[in-house]
Amino acid sequence: MLHGLMRKFSGKQSPKETAKKRLQFALVYDKLEINDTTLTSLQNDIVEVISKYFEIDTKALQLEVQRDQDLSALVFNTPILCVKKNRGFKPQESKK
Amino acid sequence: MEGKIIVVTSGKGGVGKTTATASIGAALALEGNRVAVIDMDIGLRNLDVVLGLENRIVFNIVDVVNKRCNLAQALIRDRRIENLFLVPASQSDNKDVLTAIGVQRVAKMLKSEFDYILMDSPAGIEKGFENSVVAADEAIVICTPDVSSIRDADRVIGLLYSRSITPKLIVNRIVPEMVARGDMLSHEDVIDVLSIDLLGLVPMDNQVVVSTNTGMPLVMHNQSLAGQAFRRIAKRLNGEVDIPIKVPTARTGVWDKISQKLGLNR
Repeated sequence: MLHGLMRKFSGKQSPKETAKKRLQFALVYDKLEINDTTLTSLQNDIVEVISKYFEIDTKALQLEVQRDQDLSALVFNTPILCVKKNRGFKPQESKK
Repeated sequence: MEGKIIVVTSGKGGVGKTTATASIGAALALEGNRVAVIDMDIGLRNLDVVLGLENRIVFNIVDVVNKRCNLAQALIRDRRIENLFLVPASQSDNKDVLTAIGVQRVAKMLKSEFDYILMDSPAGIEKGFENSVVAADEAIVICTPDVSSIRDADRVIGLLYSRSITPKLIVNRIVPEMVARGDMLSHEDVIDVLSIDLLGLVPMDNQVVVSTNTGMPLVMHNQSLAGQAFRRIAKRLNGEVDIPIKVPTARTGVWDKISQKLGLNR
């Protein structure tokens, strides 16, 4: 009980939660034969693309793995703060 | 009617394949089935000692497959449990002495004589694994609630799927007190990660060591929690599908109950 109480207040993950997260990602790395660096740069690229159109909270972004019988999906979850007015279109000079 | 061949496998070694094979085999025989348990771990046999039949080996599975003896000569009858038979592995040969075709030929003979044939697969995913799986109708994957065992189980499940076998999972060595504290993955977590059907849950039980030491099948100890779990698994395999899967529970004290109410365990 004390453990649980301390964890609750410190906001730390329990070993079980850590294990589950690590496992889910390990299985994705194994299957796709990619590593964490690739996944992180993919995440960065996605953030970049989304931020062209929406104002997002990059800190609250979550990367999760969802698994089904025969496929696993990477799920990026992000709260959208607001839509950008110019929708990422930069003012361009008209071509002559 | 033809018998059913069930392979017991795990990928990782030391998670309880042999104990599970011996226990489920013995329990199925106690239910009145004719059962053969086959040790496919060529060169590292152990099913014989777990069942306490190591001093009666004359011929082995390699002899049968390579036609050095007939099947009946290699079958060791258990004297305590009626209708339980063992075909041991050979201890001297290497894993390459068996061929898939040879195993399939023997499997056919076994199917005509027994209701259930349990194949105790070796650890790993090489030739020995292939030979254990080649004639299987069904598969049981064993894992413990730890990261390395689950990762290897996932690999093996994938290999079984590619052979059109849909395996079922046994989670072994669950320590309910640790699960309650959030220190160990729960069986729900394991199923969530592996997305596979559950066959049964087996708690950590010191009696397993005692049973292996004495060579007395675990399911014959009435007090053993793991033994009881394996007996329920055998019943479920044997068609009593409505037997509920029992989740191992901790001996709960007052504090555990309060902290559970407060949701401090998750």
